[in-house]
Amino acid sequence: MTTTRLTRYDRTMLRLMNDRRGAAWYATAARRRLAVTAHVALTLAIGGLMTHLFLAEDEPLWTIAVMAVLLLPWMVATGVINGATRGLLELRAHVLDERQSAERSRVLARAHRVTTLLLAAAAATLLVTGGIAGDAPKAYAAPLLIAVLVTHWVMPLWVAGWLAQDEPADDDI
Amino acid sequence: MSEQVHNRLAMARAERKVSRQSLAEAVGAHYQTIGYIERGQYNPSLDLALKISKFFGLPVEALFSLEPFRPLTDEVYGRNQP
Repeated sequence: MTTTRLTRYDRTMLRLMNDRRGAAWYATAARRRLAVTAHVALTLAIGGLMTHLFLAEDEPLWTIAVMAVLLLPWMVATGVINGATRGLLELRAHVLDERQSAERSRVLARAHRVTTLLLAAAAATLLVTGGIAGDAPKAYAAPLLIAVLVTHWVMPLWVAGWLAQDEPADDDI
Repeated sequence: MSEQVHNRLAMARAERKVSRQSLAEAVGAHYQTIGYIERGQYNPSLDLALKISKFFGLPVEALFSLEPFRPLTDEVYGRNQP
């Protein structure tokens, strides 16, 4: 893990990501997957609201208010997943040990595959929609770009949270 | 792809009264990694296996093996058929 000197930032992040006060939230596979599912749902909801904000012509204030409210549980869910993975994706590479580095590579590779499939599906949908209603690709281009960006950003977190393993049994020593 | 590497890490730690955390710090690993090695869920690299063996002052084959370990009492005292 620590072949190079850790900076203050590294030590702070390492301590934060290994803080076990929230361990009950991600102690079992079911709870971790619930957190990931909630995170996906919240991300979709916030993304949907952003799309509405972009496309709607009416007063967008309520949209912004709801998005602000949803951001709080979204951040909590992000923290739960980061806690479950011990900061697998948040810590810098030189802070991770060999198992964590291998795990991060596995997670990123899987997330890349899933994102590629989703992008292919989105592109196909957009092309088909464009064939039916000519203006649709143009109208949805910006929200789709945001959706792609968000998916690309959070997919590794979802995969890491989904695949995280149970904590080893308590150490008696 | 990788074969299961059997180990006596939990036993060595218990015998020497070494916590996962202190072993992890000594060999530059995360304490969970030590736990996963003990559970057979992660096979350490040669580098890490050698560091762990050095920490305990034991040859690497005393702690890690491709074959399941016999119970230590059998190895020390021998054992007749049950």
